[in-house]
Amino acid sequence: MIERLLTIDRRVIFLFVFIGVTIPLLSEFRLPVRPTEHVTAIYDKIELLAQQKDAVVLLSFSYGASTEPEMQPMAMALLRHLFSRNVKVVAISLFPEAPGLAQQALETTAEEFDKKYGDDYAFMPYKPGTYSVIINMGQKFLDAFPKDNWGTQTNEIPLTSNITNLTDFDFVLDLAAGDSIEFWWLPFGQEKYNLDFAAGCTAVMAPDLYPFLQSGQMVGLIGGLVGAAEYEILINHPAGASAGMSAQSVTHVIIIIFILLGNAVYLTTRYKERNSRK
Amino acid sequence: MNRDFSLLLLLILFFSVANGFLFATQKLPVDWNGLGVVVGAGLTLALYSFLYRDNPLFRVAEHIFVGVAAAYIFGQYWYPVIYNELLIELFALGAASSNGHGDWLLLIPTTLGILMLTRFSTRFGWMSRIAFGFFFGMGAGFTIPAYLSAFVLKQMEPTLQPLTWSLDGLNLFIILVGVVSVLIYFFFSVEHTGAVGKVSKLGIWFLMISFGASFGYTIMGRLSLLIGRVRFLLDDWLHLM
Repeated sequence: MIERLLTIDRRVIFLFVFIGVTIPLLSEFRLPVRPTEHVTAIYDKIELLAQQKDAVVLLSFSYGASTEPEMQPMAMALLRHLFSRNVKVVAISLFPEAPGLAQQALETTAEEFDKKYGDDYAFMPYKPGTYSVIINMGQKFLDAFPKDNWGTQTNEIPLTSNITNLTDFDFVLDLAAGDSIEFWWLPFGQEKYNLDFAAGCTAVMAPDLYPFLQSGQMVGLIGGLVGAAEYEILINHPAGASAGMSAQSVTHVIIIIFILLGNAVYLTTRYKERNSRK
Repeated sequence: MNRDFSLLLLLILFFSVANGFLFATQKLPVDWNGLGVVVGAGLTLALYSFLYRDNPLFRVAEHIFVGVAAAYIFGQYWYPVIYNELLIELFALGAASSNGHGDWLLLIPTTLGILMLTRFSTRFGWMSRIAFGFFFGMGAGFTIPAYLSAFVLKQMEPTLQPLTWSLDGLNLFIILVGVVSVLIYFFFSVEHTGAVGKVSKLGIWFLMISFGASFGYTIMGRLSLLIGRVRFLLDDWLHLM
């Protein structure tokens, strides 16, 4: 019996994980989500900006379809918060797959809060060049983005006509599933222009970014689906991320049980082998 | 007929019947949006079928993804960048041009970019070195001081704060011990025996905890992606949520 557990078919584990995801999603089973310090810091920063007249936030989209389930709920929650507090948003894409997802998030949330393109938000096209685009924006925003996503001259859009460079933004947020936070925005944006900077990232990236919170280089960090769920709770708008949290917790328990079971079986087998040798 | 082939047929049958039912009951609209959801659900199921075993459905979905992604990314480079910011501005094409006359300065980066493509030729490949030399030089000039400042100097500041009798002080102490012990672990000029060996062993523990945290976050991330797809299947496609 114990030997059979050691050679268990991996598809059995997949089946357990699938059941662990499906049942909580189909049921009304909900576990509480408590916002953590680093997510609340971003919320507080936006609340502070809301008290300022004509505050403008630069929202950089640097993720694609492969990380959409983690990143899109985060973008939606942040945009809902920004629009609900009348903070203006300029969105850019530094990742070629991002514009489609960015446009979807912007248009959905702008419609919810009756925001007008050009006055309340603007959307710049994808720009290749990684960190050199950030350096370019730091020198002259209009040089980096002469036209918006639909080919309108950026200096003819009311929201962007007064923006000269990166320092004109009151807050910069990067939503990323790659190198952009650590290797583009921090050294070439935050460090060079002393920006108020925060980020949202996939769960895989989050541990690497914690040192930048401790050093004060980032105001806050939203890590993975759980971070997005925390933000949804903060803005009192539970949506996609919150719905997935119970499934996440149940599957974590299943994986922990399998890890403990695997180790227990391994140790028992080893103990038996040693005894039989004696 | 073997078991795998039967399962494949069963999956296709389930998918067809489910879609027929969803369209018949008007849970899915008979328009481009409905078709989009069906294509998304089909490709999701086909890709997840790999968890059972490699199969033709998975390979078809994989090839479709590669093709669509390549075309989408090409579109993102072509229209806003190459066409909108280069060709229109360089040749002053129509009203979209920002100044009404050609911006010949754009020829410099364009030439450098084209030179990179000469790597594909054995005869003219040497020309690509000019462009690579420019980019390496510029990249190093920009990157070295910025990285030193952001990753070394700025990171040293919180590590060198004075220790206090508080929870923050305890955090700082743990960080200090972690940084020093890991640095000693990676210091190979001294044999790791005696006191140095003990400190380097402590460094290994810090590294193990860090790897464990990263692995935990990785599991969480991968599960989040699965939850996203299952939500799409249950909600957007089957309307069960």
